Amino acid sequence: MSVPRLQFEGISKVFPAVRALSDVSFSVGAGEIHGLLGENGAGKSTLLRILSGIYRPTAGSVLIDGKPVALNNPVAARAAGVAMIHQELQQVPQLSVAQNMFLGHPLTRGGIFVARREQERRAAEALAALDPTIDPAVPLGSLKVAQRQIVEIARALLDRARIVAMDEPTSSLTPSEFERLAEVISALARDGVAVVYVSHKLDEVFGICQRATIMRDGVVVGSVDLAQVSEKSVVSMMVGRELAQEQHRSHASSEVRLSVHGLASATKVREVSFDLHRGEVLGIAGLVGSGRTELLRLLAGADRASSGRVEIDGKATKLSSPRDAIAAGIGLVPEERKREGIVPLRSISSNMALASMGVFAPRGVIDHARLKRIAAEKMKRVNLRPFLLDRPIRLFSGGNQQKAIIGRWLAAGTRILLFDEPTRGIDVGAKAEIYHLIEELAAEGHSVVVVSSELPEVIRLADRVLVMRDGTVAAELDRADLSEQAIAAHAIPQSETQGRQGHRAGA
Amino acid sequence: MTDVAEHSAARPRAEFLHRFSLRDAGTLIGLIVILAVFGALVPGFFAERNLINILQQSSINACLALGMTLVIISGGIDLSVGPTAALSAVISASMLVAGVPFPLAIAAGFAIGLVCGLLNGMLVAYVGLQPFIVTLGTLSTYRALALIYTGGNPVLGLPAGFRAIFNGSLFGLPLAVIIVAVVALIAWIILKKTPFGEYLLAVGGNEEAAHIAGVPIARTKIAAYMISGLLAALAAQILIGRLGAAEPILGNLWELDAIAAAAIGGASLMGGKGSVVGTILGAVILGTMRNGLTLMNVQSFYQLLATGLIILAAMLIDRVTRGRG
Repeated sequence: MSVPRLQFEGISKVFPAVRALSDVSFSVGAGEIHGLLGENGAGKSTLLRILSGIYRPTAGSVLIDGKPVALNNPVAARAAGVAMIHQELQQVPQLSVAQNMFLGHPLTRGGIFVARREQERRAAEALAALDPTIDPAVPLGSLKVAQRQIVEIARALLDRARIVAMDEPTSSLTPSEFERLAEVISALARDGVAVVYVSHKLDEVFGICQRATIMRDGVVVGSVDLAQVSEKSVVSMMVGRELAQEQHRSHASSEVRLSVHGLASATKVREVSFDLHRGEVLGIAGLVGSGRTELLRLLAGADRASSGRVEIDGKATKLSSPRDAIAAGIGLVPEERKREGIVPLRSISSNMALASMGVFAPRGVIDHARLKRIAAEKMKRVNLRPFLLDRPIRLFSGGNQQKAIIGRWLAAGTRILLFDEPTRGIDVGAKAEIYHLIEELAAEGHSVVVVSSELPEVIRLADRVLVMRDGTVAAELDRADLSEQAIAAHAIPQSETQGRQGHRAGA
Repeated sequence: MTDVAEHSAARPRAEFLHRFSLRDAGTLIGLIVILAVFGALVPGFFAERNLINILQQSSINACLALGMTLVIISGGIDLSVGPTAALSAVISASMLVAGVPFPLAIAAGFAIGLVCGLLNGMLVAYVGLQPFIVTLGTLSTYRALALIYTGGNPVLGLPAGFRAIFNGSLFGLPLAVIIVAVVALIAWIILKKTPFGEYLLAVGGNEEAAHIAGVPIARTKIAAYMISGLLAALAAQILIGRLGAAEPILGNLWELDAIAAAAIGGASLMGGKGSVVGTILGAVILGTMRNGLTLMNVQSFYQLLATGLIILAAMLIDRVTRGRG
């Protein structure tokens, strides 16, 4: 390999008041899948924005095939052969797959009419190599997230991209969907495309990337050959210190706090029964779509159950609204923080107080002094950083937003905490803090349910694990029997394993 | 301020600055600039009488705009305020003409406003229809009811005693101005100091998150529309007290002025953001423009133009300053 396909040379980016990137240099060869690692705020997103023409660097240059390119705007970046696949997919769900793939530069007849058929034919060609089951004529919104990712990649193929940058492409994919995506990415690389792959999930990066560049605080800490380093050493490069490996300790008592009998919803949850003890951390594993999130929403009163009953401390409890659930001491820390967790424009204090306004306004008027005092106490407890209680929550990192939501339930006196993917989109350092917090809460006697797609997370936290499949509990695993293999064996429905084998045989 | 004073004054001042947001300060500066321009161009503009005039002319729009602000913060909009006011006006007026005691007639007018708001709120919160469409529909419906009820004719000859209630003055200020000032104070307290205010901001800022946090979504929205209806009814009483008659076509296009005042004051039509202080300043800005341009004998076409440009300028400044954050 003579000239690298993509080269960053001394890139710096200065915003008013912040230096986001400082002298960033590394290169990615044609056909290479290159991981880009770092905590939130390390500068990965800024670098990708420079690559895709959204920001212009303050200093330094980007070279493609050895030639400096001016990536002054997204159109220029696209013309230079850069395709960007965003974390939050930038697509129009109402339009068809093909329309999305030609968004912004449709094929036309005579420059006036959209050549819909031709678009669909070309889209099908591009998709054929990746996932022939996707019909280019259906509305994009009807596809699963994993398939929508593939549509984005197919779009990059259509554009004849020489460089594909992917920002957290797998944050909502199941393990099998990830495997499929990994195959697609490898195929891209075999065609000579340089792939820049940003992810928080180290195992994935180690699984599909050959080399990785690690960033911290806007500078490159190092570029490593992944075959020669351990995950642990990469993590310490990312956070700049060693993260202590914690031993699991159970605080579960025999006292049953929550007892669920035959709980079912109209759609996704069928006949779920389990007990949750005081001080216990109960993991719920299973594939996306197995009914885990829906189960938590039933318990949080966000959706209504169609049948079944719930007892708290032995007393039958009605959970027909979030207010009921909160009154019964249940709080949900939802998966999609931006959509279901935070009120972005409001301060940390307001977001924290939202679930317990009655406490702060005993006579109808909010006691702001008290609110401030309790907010300070709870946010200290969850270690909010920076410690600015009046700042709008949207300006905080995902990890700190998550801490504020946990603080919300602490302020509301919640005794049963439901976590849905507690560390999604949260960087390694904050992740460890959230784990620690969950364990402390359990030690204090809170009961915790953790739904997670990350098996190491479940294994790290849970005293006991329920594996869900097709809306019901397929297996219950004690701590002693916990392993990724055991969970996976129960989580995957028979039809899926057969389907996948069939697919492999056909390919 | 001296160093000695600084020490003791720092806290309350920071508190005050915190309450009086940057956005409100911007609106205030806008108002001061407009006042200064008219002061320089129009002789006698700063006469006490004229300033009181401006406040009086702004009061009805300010009253509506306060309700509108709460609805907008909740993520909705209320296009039906003008017809709500008209319906409330003709019902109160016909009761007054028929000799019903003032308090009862006024209460009936307020009740009409509340019911109109309740209907809007229920269609939005329980049926789940879009606020724009719901209130567009009730805009026509309520107007039609007012026209049908009166046969299209104005209700004339309101008793002098009733007119005196809203035409009096206190401490040299017209009663209408004082009433709206009190309403503004209550609205400010609601927004800043009560759970309902927090709920409004949360529902408009992120409804799904508010739901999961246990905020009573439907009740919050319905209350906002009911307050808007009530304030439309209050505006109607003030107006018919001033005019001595109630026309079924009264309040035509009021909703647009009210939305404009709220928007100039910093309310976001996306919901979750808005300010009582800003809205009042916005209403006064619109009132000042009208007053000043009228005194300058500017043709009404140009007054309309100026109002439009002020709204656009406010939004542009908003956009530019926010883009930097």
